[in-house]
Formats: sequence, structure tokens, C-alpha cells
Amino acid sequence: MARRGVVAGLMVGPLAALAVGFGGLAAISAGAGLASAGSDAPITLTVGVIQDLDSPNVTAGYLVSSYELWNLQYATLTDKAAADFAVTPGLAESWEVSDGGLTYTYKLRDGLTWSDGKPLTAADVAFTINTSRDQAWLNHSATTANLEATVIDDRTVKITSSVPDPKLPVMDVYILPEHVWGGFTVDEISTYAALDGVGSGPFTLTEWKSGQSWTMKANPSFWRGAPAIDQVIFRVFTNPDAMVAALKKGEIDAANDIPSSAFEGLKAAADVEAVFGTQGGFTELAMNGMAGGLGDGHPALLDLNVRHAIARAIDKGALFDRVILGLGKPGIALSVSPDPAWQPDIPVAEQYTYDPVEANRLLDEGGYLDTNGDGVREMPDGSQELVFRYAERSESENSAAIRELITGWLDAVGIGSTVDVYDDTQLTDVIGSGEYDLFVWGWTPFVDPDPMLSYFTCAQVTTSMDAVGYNDANWCDARYDELYTAQNQELDRAKRIGIVQDMLRLFYDESTYVVLFEDANLQAYRTDRFEGWTRQPAATGPVLFTNSSPTYVNLKPIGAGGGDDGGGLGTGALVAIIAGGVIILGVGGSLAMRSRSSRDDRE
Amino acid sequence: MRPRFVVGKVVGAFSTLVFVVVVNFFLFRVVNDDPVESLFRGRNLSIAQKDRLREQFNLDGSRLEQFIAYVRELVRGNLGLSLLSKRPVTTEIREALWPTILLVGVATTMAMVIGVVVGIHAGWRRRSTFDLTSTTVSMFTYSVPDFWLGMLFLGLFSVNLGIFPTGGLEDAGSTATGLAKLLDQAHHMALPAIVLAIAYVGEYVIVMRSSLLDTVSEDYLQLARAKGLRDADVRRKHAVPNALLPVVSLSALNFGFVLSGSIAVESIFSWPGLGQATLEAIRGPDFPVLQGLFLLFSAALILANLVVDLVYGLLDPRVQAQ
Repeated sequence: MARRGVVAGLMVGPLAALAVGFGGLAAISAGAGLASAGSDAPITLTVGVIQDLDSPNVTAGYLVSSYELWNLQYATLTDKAAADFAVTPGLAESWEVSDGGLTYTYKLRDGLTWSDGKPLTAADVAFTINTSRDQAWLNHSATTANLEATVIDDRTVKITSSVPDPKLPVMDVYILPEHVWGGFTVDEISTYAALDGVGSGPFTLTEWKSGQSWTMKANPSFWRGAPAIDQVIFRVFTNPDAMVAALKKGEIDAANDIPSSAFEGLKAAADVEAVFGTQGGFTELAMNGMAGGLGDGHPALLDLNVRHAIARAIDKGALFDRVILGLGKPGIALSVSPDPAWQPDIPVAEQYTYDPVEANRLLDEGGYLDTNGDGVREMPDGSQELVFRYAERSESENSAAIRELITGWLDAVGIGSTVDVYDDTQLTDVIGSGEYDLFVWGWTPFVDPDPMLSYFTCAQVTTSMDAVGYNDANWCDARYDELYTAQNQELDRAKRIGIVQDMLRLFYDESTYVVLFEDANLQAYRTDRFEGWTRQPAATGPVLFTNSSPTYVNLKPIGAGGGDDGGGLGTGALVAIIAGGVIILGVGGSLAMRSRSSRDDRE
Repeated sequence: MRPRFVVGKVVGAFSTLVFVVVVNFFLFRVVNDDPVESLFRGRNLSIAQKDRLREQFNLDGSRLEQFIAYVRELVRGNLGLSLLSKRPVTTEIREALWPTILLVGVATTMAMVIGVVVGIHAGWRRRSTFDLTSTTVSMFTYSVPDFWLGMLFLGLFSVNLGIFPTGGLEDAGSTATGLAKLLDQAHHMALPAIVLAIAYVGEYVIVMRSSLLDTVSEDYLQLARAKGLRDADVRRKHAVPNALLPVVSLSALNFGFVLSGSIAVESIFSWPGLGQATLEAIRGPDFPVLQGLFLLFSAALILANLVVDLVYGLLDPRVQAQ
């Protein structure tokens, strides 16, 4: 009998041991969690994200998550107002303009230091501007390409532009510490790990666990003084629904990229505020303008009336309600900046609003008739059917819904379509080579409208696959180019806004792009931990992952709140674990007993 | 063991690996081999900057030149740079390797031990209540999708009961070391490991049970009983050792799959392992990382297969003769 008991133990033992082991570990770790949540724990803001950093290196990374890191780690010479992006002093307390607007002399604040205690001087500024220009750093060179920085003294730096530059005096490039970043060759600098955590912004990087989290601690040397919170932890989720659950549970204090399906539900959740904010990002239907001479776009798209008919056939209101569930803005003109000041006001009467009757009239008048009765119109000379190749992105969750609606509307006005689905790499290739008629994709603009405007100049049209430009609609118009050059050198902001609005009206009338809607960042934060959440721009922007990320500096803990990021468990949970362990043990024990008694019966 | 048998198997495994390297390289380039344009869309880069990126990522030569460079670097143990992070692919993989081995290793071991024990009991007492129950439950868990089970467990144990965290390897930003770190990780690993173990266990139960059933009617078991051996001894000493062979090969092959992890479960529980790395690399698309991961997965499976072949040859000399 004793021997049989041993055998039975061997059989059931592993089951019980594993179950007890797990229960025990979980229970003990729960206890550890409770014990560690002491009163001297740092005040921690935990932000849930679904996108990890690509690289903390500002000359190499390009994902939005990395910009949030740099916004916090590196101060800039000039800052942007949270409300409207107006230029405000940053590392520089003041500046003077001379030389007809070509030269700006910035005066740095007194006693600036890096987070490692080394002094931050004009030499660091000059190093960043001149080296980024010479080495063509990814995230700097678009701003610094025409600039030359000269050190006047430790606190004074002179920046001269070789061409009139309306972006100045805004100097929103991340200033890097020369004592860390100096001395690299162009190849070395882009592969530098950049985990040094030396910065001048409100928080600096202390640790990055790839695929898990990155932690930033408050920088007491920040020119506005140390922030009210001690550290910010960005926690990476690969499951957005788990992130939403973590927010509701209080494991995290805020979350970015909330799935639209969960957004409405969060509005009703206790102690959670859900916000959607637009930053100018939009989704468009583009038509092939064929200006580059590459590819085989449909000839009907060269006819402005056909483009207007397509625009008239699309019900943007339905897209807004049914595709993005009202979370964003209906699209009108091209969006070139998160700052709405640049947008022209196009009266409804002048808009190409949804009007299938008008679409049919335009096509009929143009001679695009359905002569063979197959339900699809033909070219006026009968040479070709009005069937467009419609390309869409496999990566976008909205693609299928948009396609179903748009191809249905086109069909209703006698325009056929064939749909091709591509990943982004393939679609870029198809667009570059001009082998498409229509596609749906989107852009997110910078604060200054110049880059977005530049993408539709003739210079950006792809004429050879060796040099692919950004002008993905292959559209070229000399009037637009002329206005582009004018705004690019206009130093008077009001006049420049006027020119930009003229460009956008022209682009709107040409209808090579039909802007379908402006996307929103869906975010949520807990209201019981911190206060001071700041939207940028005011009223319409998001609170996190904004252009200059003002929220983090403004946040203050409510009472003694903040900081519990989910390790600790409640008493109820502990009871549940112990109860679970007892049940598993009971089941294992009865299994062993059954096993023994049945053997006794048989022998 | 015959040297010719061993050499044959090793050469076979190596040729498969070479084939994988070639297919791996060209597979990702069939569709498109230049992700620079799409990765940097809207980043306002000059054409010169994009060309420099292509050069850095070894995308500027012809396909053959790229392949030769790839093989040359591969031999040196260099898998190239990630297009996303610009860190070496080997670093990316190394960081994700341990969490996956930990999670899938623990889950597979749990499933194997529990599955074998349950399978033996079920097979030995065929048509008993235990057999019927365990077989039904095993068929059920075997056919339940692991991502669905994962979502269910997450909702129940993490969100509603609040016993386990909503994901991750450890508390975000945790600076714990030693025992505290171990406990923290166990706390985070419990849910995904249990889900995976449940998903795997049915296979072991069914294979072990049917294998034992095959041996139950063998003459040598009758002989053992006739000799007067006790039932438990007959099972333990004569039936189980013979019935274990298929389970040994199943386990070895499954351990080959351990490295490829479980994309679904890792993704649901935000577990920073190789499955999650694969998903991120596909999203990029980050070809160098994908290539590196596929190579690792293939190599692990080829190695596991080789081990099974050799062990089989050792256990059953008839295999060598064939």
C-alpha cells in the first residue's frame, strides 16, 4: 500500500505542485506589491501606449512615440503656446531680428544646465544647428538646411538664414548636448543608442525596455523648474482593449490611441475623461494627375469636370458618421497644420458637397455617356469605359468601410471601379510609378504649413523611379508653385496666411485630392489622480502626443494620488487567490483519492 | 549508432537550413524590396537623405549583390540593422528571446506533464468517467482558439476579479531585483502561461491516451499480469515506457516551436517576446528583423527535428536500418 501511495503521489504531485506553485507565487507577489506601495514612492504618471519607441536617437527615430520622448527630453530655443502654437520664449528668453529678417540673435536664459549638471551654452545650440545641417539629420535638417549659427558669447547665439525664412523666429529644433553628441561621424550618429538620458527638458530618459516600457524622470535643471511629478512611465500594450481595461482599473493614468470601438464606453466610465483631439491629420481620396509622365492613369481624370463629379458623388457626412463615428472633423480643404488659422473659410455654396444629380449632370455634359447600356459610362470618344482602379491600404482599419461607401457612390453615378489592396510599401511603389487611378491614404502635417504645401509643388512630382517625390497625386500647377514660393519667403504672418489660403482654395477647386475627413487622436485619462491636462491647440487638440507636449509640465497630483501602476492587489484578490488554491488542492486531492480507491477495487 | 546515419541526418538538416536562408531572403523581396519611401512618407526628407538610408540598410545594390552581402554578414553572425530602430537585429532578437523561452517553455512543460499524467489515467481505465470527462475536456481545449481563451481569461481574472495585471512582463518601470523581480514576473506570467498550457494540454492527453490504448492489448502485458505483477507495476514498468515514444517525438517537435512563441497570446498579454517582435516587424515592415526571426524559428525546428531523428535512431535501432 505504501508503494502505491508513492506512485499515486508521483502522478498527482506535478499537478498539485504546479497549481500551488503558481497560486503561491501570485499570492506572494501580490503581497510584495502591497508592501512596495509605500508613502515615499515617487509620484508616477503612467501612460498607456500601443506604439513602442523606434529609437530614442533624435537623428534616427521617426515614430510619434519617439517625438513624445524628445519633446520631454530636449528643450527648444523657442516654445509653442499650448492654446494656439504662438511662439513663446524657451531656452532663449528673448531674441532680436536684424538684417531684414535674415538674422535672429537669441539670448539664452541665465544659468542653464543639462540634466547631468554640465552648463548649456550657445555652443550647444550652434553645434546642433550646424551639425544637423551638415549631416542632414532626419528630424532637424528640414528646419536647419538654410541656417548658420554663430556663437557670440556663452548666452548669445546668432542664427542667419541664407534665404528669407518665415518660420523664424520659431526655432523648434531639439537642442542636443555637444558633450554627448559631438564627435560622431554621420554614420555613427544615426546608430548611436542614445540612452544617455542627458537633456534639458522637463523629463529625461532613465530606462527603455524595448517592447515593454520607457521611464523618464523629472529634470530639476529644467528652465521652468522641476515638474510636480517625479517620473513618467510609458507602458506599451500590444492589446488596445487590455490598455482600456488597465485605465479603468487604474493600472495606468492615461492612454493614447484608444480604439474607436471602446471610446464611447469610456465616456461612461467612472473617474475617466475621454477626449478626442484633431491635429490636422486627414484621410483623402487622391486622383492621378499624371504630371510626371509615368504610368497609365485614366485619361478621364485629366478633366476637371470628372474630378468635380467624383467629389460631388462622395457623401462626406456619411463617411464622418459611419466610418470615424463622428470622432474627428468632416474634411473640406487640404489640412496643412494643426493650427486652424491657416485653413481658408470656404462657404458651403462654393463647396463640392454631396450632390449625385450634379455629378451626373457634369458627366453627361462632358459627353461621358453609357452608350452600351452596361451601367458604366464611357469616354466621349467611346474608347474606354469609365472604370477606375481604386487602391487602398491594407494597414488602415478604415479602408474597407471607406471603399464600400465610395465605390457604391461612384457606381450610382455610372463610374465603375476595380479595387486593389496593398501594404504601404507596395502602394508607395504603385503611386510612384503612376499605375493607379484613385487611392485613399492620409497625411499628418507639421505646425508650419510649408512642408505639407511643398509636397504638391511640381518639383515633388515623380518623373523617375530613382527619385520618388512626395507629390503622390502627380499634380502640377504653375499658379500653385508661384504662390508656394511667395509664402515661402513672406515674413509677414498675416500676409502669408492669405497666400496659403489662396493656395488651398486653388487646390480645393482642382479637386485632385478629396479630403474625406480629419482624423482624431482618441485619448483618455483618469480624473482622480492628476489635474492640469492641457489640450494643444485649445479646445480641439489632444492632451498627449501633441506638438510640444505641454501637459506633462502642467500636471499636478490630486491629494496624495498618483503612482500606483498596478503591482498591488486588493484584499479581495488575495482571498480569491487563496480560495482558488484551496479549490485546486481539493480537486487534486480527490483525484488522488479516486485513483487510489479505484485501484484497490481492481486488485 | 552508425556514423553514416548520423552524418546523413546532419547533412540533411544543414541543407534544409541553407534552403531556408535563400528562400527567406528572396521571399521578403518578391513583393517589394524598398520600404524607405513608405516608412518615411510625410517626413519631409530630401532625396539624398533617402538614398543614404537605402545605403545604410543595404538596399542600394542589385538583388544578387544584396544577397551576397547578406550571406557574408550572416556567416559573421551579423543579421543587419532593424529598419525601425536601427539597432542590430541580433540585439532585437536577443531581448525578445528570454521572455518567450520563459513563457512558452513553462506553458509547454506544464501542458506536457499534466497531459501525460491525465492521458495515462484515461487510457488505462478506458471508458471510465475519468476517461470520458478528460477526453471531452481535452478535445474542447484543443479546439478552443488560444486568443479567444486569452481574451476571456484577461476579462475574467484581470479586469473583473483584478487578480492579475492586464499584461506585460513585469510592472512598468519596475526596478525590482532578485526575488521581488521573480515574483513580479511570475505574477505577470501566470495568466498567459495558463492559457497557453490549456491550449496545449489536450494534444498531449489525446496522444498519450491513444498510444497507451495501443499497448494495452499487447501480449507482453498479459504475460506481465500472468506473472502476478500488480496492475500499477504493469502500467508503470511495461505499458507506459512503450507508449511514451510518440509523446517524446511530439514534445521534441513542440519544443522546436517554443521559439516561434505564440503570436496571439503574446499580443493579447503584451508579452515582450518573439511573437510580439514578429508582429511589430510585420507592421513595419521591418524586413531584416523578419528575416532574422524566420531564420531563428526555422533553425530551432530543424534542430529539434534532427534531435528527434537521432534519439529515435538510438531508441529504436530499426530506424537506422531503414
